[in-house]
Amino acid sequence: MRIIIESPQPNDEDVVIVRCASPDQRLISMLLSFQNAKTELTGYLDDKIVRLKYYDVYYFEANENRVFAYCHSDVYEVKYKLYELEELFNPLDFLRCSKSMIVNMEKIEYLSPLFSGKLEAHLKNGEKVLISRQYVRSLKAKLGIEEVE
Amino acid sequence: MIKEFFVSLLHYFVDITTAVIIAAAVYLTFSGQQVGNAILWQILFSGFITALPTAVLLCFDPKSGRISAILWGLHFLLIFLITVMLLKMFGWCRITPLSVSLTFVAVVFIYVFTCSVHYLVARKHTAWMNQQLKKRYSDDEQIKKEKP
Repeated sequence: MRIIIESPQPNDEDVVIVRCASPDQRLISMLLSFQNAKTELTGYLDDKIVRLKYYDVYYFEANENRVFAYCHSDVYEVKYKLYELEELFNPLDFLRCSKSMIVNMEKIEYLSPLFSGKLEAHLKNGEKVLISRQYVRSLKAKLGIEEVE
Repeated sequence: MIKEFFVSLLHYFVDITTAVIIAAAVYLTFSGQQVGNAILWQILFSGFITALPTAVLLCFDPKSGRISAILWGLHFLLIFLITVMLLKMFGWCRITPLSVSLTFVAVVFIYVFTCSVHYLVARKHTAWMNQQLKKRYSDDEQIKKEKP
């Protein structure tokens, strides 16, 4: 199956067209997960309530039973558990990188290895995030380097 | 998790055993000592017994860099003590200040060798991952730039 991505004309809406003889289960579940994938969530900062777009979030971190979304310079509290965010954003490029963190792969500038076997992700806002050894395999799978078991 | 543990155990067993064989070859060449075939089993056993705490250590995922450094320090001490114990157990040499100092140097060599091998492999994998990241997201950025 070929995948073609075309840029729409200016002011045209984004549209997904599937051209196939008969849609199978795999295709339907893929389209449903695409349609249902959450792309927004509510963030709380002091007395402000903000709609956060997934692509603005650099990483999520759990700290003392609270979960925070780290954006370019602001940090918002979100009312989700880390595992819920992991499930919600799994179809997107979010990756569990340690027991307490989920990182947006799109925000990774580059990776560097550490002597302890972990990886250090240098983010586009200058922050650094550690990727534990047990999650390196998922990162490789997401990047198409290693097959998912 | 269990699979990760056994994979780490196997990797470190192979690396440590290789480093011990190099250290033994250097020592036996310079000392001119003759040894029996039992030394091969003893090296394999020492490789396994020192790889075990390493695989256990890698199961821990400390959040702070300080705790991680302390754990690695304790790990080094444990490996050193195990090696001295093995020296005594297998009768490789008498326990004297000189033999303990030489063992310390050998453990440092094996430690640096193993860590370097793993670091170099990780560096190669990371370069590959960086290439994939660049390819994946430079395409995305290109699409975003094309969009008004």
